[in-house]
Amino acid sequence: MDGLFSQVAVLGSSGVLLCAIAILWRHGVSGYISAFQLQSNVLAVLTAAVAYFGHDHDLYWVAAMMIAVKGVAIPRLLTRLAHRVGQTHDSEPIVNAATSLIISGLLILLAYTAARPLQALSAAPTRAGIPLAIGLIFVSLFVIVSRKQAISQVIGFLMLENGIALLAVLATYGVPLVVELGVFLDALMGFLVMQIVLYDIHDTFNTIDVDVLKRLKH
Amino acid sequence: MTAAFLFPLFWMMVAGYGIAAAGLVMPTRRLVRAVTAIGSVTGGAAGLTLACLVLWTDASLMLAAPSMLTIAGGWMIRLDRLGALFLALISGVAIPAGVYAASYTASYEDRYSTRWMAFNFGTFLLSMSLVAAAANAVTFLLCWELMAVSSFFLVVTEHDREESVRAGLWYLAMTHAGLLALLGAFFLLGPGDPAVTGWTFEAMRSAAPQLSSSTRNAIFVLALLGFGSKAGMVPFHVWLPRAHPAAPSHVSALMSAAMVKLGIYGLLRIGLDVLGGGPSWWGTLLIVLGAASALTGVLYALVADDLKKLLAYSTVENIGLVLLGVGAGFLFLSLSQPHAAMLAMAAALLHVINHAAFKGTLFLSAGSIVHATGTRDMNLMGGLVTRTPWTAATFLVGAMAIAALPPLNGFVSEWLLFQSFLPGVTSSQAAIAGLLTLGVGALALTGGLAAATFVKAFGISCLAIPRSTEAAHAHESPRSMRFGMVLMAASCPLLAFATIPVLTTITGALAGLGGLAWTAPAFHLGVTLRTPNGMAAMSPAAIGVVLVAALTGIWIVVRVVARPRVRVGDTWGCGRIGQTPRMEYTSTAFAEPLRRVFDQLYRPNEDRAVGVVRPESPYYIQSMTYQTTIHPWFQRTLYDPLIEGVEQVAGWARRMQSGSVNAYLGYIVFVLVVLLVWVIGF
Repeated sequence: MDGLFSQVAVLGSSGVLLCAIAILWRHGVSGYISAFQLQSNVLAVLTAAVAYFGHDHDLYWVAAMMIAVKGVAIPRLLTRLAHRVGQTHDSEPIVNAATSLIISGLLILLAYTAARPLQALSAAPTRAGIPLAIGLIFVSLFVIVSRKQAISQVIGFLMLENGIALLAVLATYGVPLVVELGVFLDALMGFLVMQIVLYDIHDTFNTIDVDVLKRLKH
Repeated sequence: MTAAFLFPLFWMMVAGYGIAAAGLVMPTRRLVRAVTAIGSVTGGAAGLTLACLVLWTDASLMLAAPSMLTIAGGWMIRLDRLGALFLALISGVAIPAGVYAASYTASYEDRYSTRWMAFNFGTFLLSMSLVAAAANAVTFLLCWELMAVSSFFLVVTEHDREESVRAGLWYLAMTHAGLLALLGAFFLLGPGDPAVTGWTFEAMRSAAPQLSSSTRNAIFVLALLGFGSKAGMVPFHVWLPRAHPAAPSHVSALMSAAMVKLGIYGLLRIGLDVLGGGPSWWGTLLIVLGAASALTGVLYALVADDLKKLLAYSTVENIGLVLLGVGAGFLFLSLSQPHAAMLAMAAALLHVINHAAFKGTLFLSAGSIVHATGTRDMNLMGGLVTRTPWTAATFLVGAMAIAALPPLNGFVSEWLLFQSFLPGVTSSQAAIAGLLTLGVGALALTGGLAAATFVKAFGISCLAIPRSTEAAHAHESPRSMRFGMVLMAASCPLLAFATIPVLTTITGALAGLGGLAWTAPAFHLGVTLRTPNGMAAMSPAAIGVVLVAALTGIWIVVRVVARPRVRVGDTWGCGRIGQTPRMEYTSTAFAEPLRRVFDQLYRPNEDRAVGVVRPESPYYIQSMTYQTTIHPWFQRTLYDPLIEGVEQVAGWARRMQSGSVNAYLGYIVFVLVVLLVWVIGF
């Protein structure tokens, strides 16, 4: 039973991480959004699986909300946002696809090394997935750093959020429901604020390429 | 008995300055000015009384709030005689400055926030007073910093003028460099855990003999850097000729008369009281730096055209004189000649007090002149003696005192400084005799040049006919300004007359500090002043009486007895038609001969432009302009390369600020990764 649980956890985490890596070689904003949507849904399924194997019924709620907020609502908002600012293709990122993949590989390696003390502490059958969650956090950070479009950076941030949720689920079978609710609210609020700022940037500069913000420096 | 008065007086002083600072929240501008004046006069009066009680009786004030900042030793106030001497000085200047400010700040009302100024003024006065009364390191340093910051805000009062802001920047940089040195000195001095020993001066004093000689030397050098930069010692004086002219005049008076003196206080507190003197090179270093300050100060004062800048450079000069005295004191102490040391230290402290009196007078009068003419350039003044008689009179008193003319107070302290150096000239050790001879030479040269400087300052700005329309339409200052100036000026003859009691008080304050044992009187203190080895004697009071009597006699003879007949008629004009301001000596011209003598030091940039009627006939001149600027050499050799270096490093650091969001995010990730690697690696 535990063996199967462990297998499922690693498989699910790998799927979540793979969705983030997918962004690195895709160019269209719609591709980014669907990758994020897929990631959120995989994460929700994984959460549900942990709820089933770990006998934690609160996690079913979390999984349901994850699908509702991150799987449906936010992707839809993102699509609208992308159409509003007329951004369907990301400009050339700072680092090209091949290098990006190598760097993310290195980051995941680092995550494996960094997670060793964490894994040693944990006795949960899900512990094999912890390095993957940390890896996801790193890769999301890298996405934020290396993309020039503000909208891509927002997606990177949302993936980072997913990474943290994944880590919570894997390491401790989720945090208390109240906290989880707070985190959802936080993510949603954060996203809404970013949306407003994005519109503002677009209205002011007629582009959401953050490279243009360099002009603010005198 | 008197001890019962000390606490109420202390709290009255705090409350007085607090009231002055409360000008920040007063509803009307008139009220702001009234509150500032009333508060600083009350606080000053209470502080002066408190200081006098401590100086003249056996009472001493102790206050402690160990629960505040326990980790650093807590708040601790202890007013001993040395501190009381400086508290008396601060309070004594605060009273006339406060009265003066009542109407002086009115001219700032439309352009700048007088509320903010009042707040900083009150804070400045309070923090200065507390520096003199602090009993441990943390109290001292906090008040020291508060004093620096509040005076910085006062310096940049005219924040829309680039000159003021630059001056403020220089001041802030220098005072904080000094603070760093002081922190170093206190960390080396502090015995044990501050939460246990409190790092009080008392604990430091008892722990000081156990320190190794290299630690003691390091402490002294750091203290000299920190306190010297505050006092305006060469080469750390660069902020002073910038900050003093930029500040409002009542603040310049306080900074110059009181604040820079706290540098001397700190030096005595650490060097003499806590460390108890040191090897002879301490005194030698002080004498050399003192002589350098005195000469540099007076030479630059001589060529200054800006009246307040002249006064500021003259402060550098006078601090140099004080340091000469203090240095001689340290030197004699290391040679175990306590009487000679006492004489030198007392002369230095007497000069500290006297300088406060006349420099306060001069700055207040200069403020009044600037108020009347709207300029600080002496080349645009003139004729003020008839237009603003009160201001001119007080300026004259201050100028005479600073030029060390009897019967005023400057004469007494400079005479005493000479007397403290002269016994050492005949010392059996050739090096010391040579050094002290050079010191006497520096004193003499400084005295002469200072006299020339103030002949220029008074003559050019107050005498002759006005050089500009503003000067021609100058008006006397309002009553409270005049009152403040007269109060300050009156202290000059008063201090000269009361030299003996003042000296007794000073020796009382110094007695017992670091080997300055009060065994036998170092000098005879009767009506005449007699130096220990009987080399010289003088009676300032008698000189005053004789001089005043002689002058009155001459006046009576000339005016009453001889009764000259006054004829009114045209002057023989050598054929010229009228007298214009262009015929007058200017400030630049007056200093020109001496500037040529010291040309190597000044290295001025001269710019002469002659406009002629026709190029082929150069003798028919239409116009002529002459410009000269002096870029001080220590600035050129010491500070310019330093500033350039800092700017270069800052330029490299600026490259990090690319303006790209990605780069900024990248820094965060980079640091995160590095930290993680670090954690894993170890």
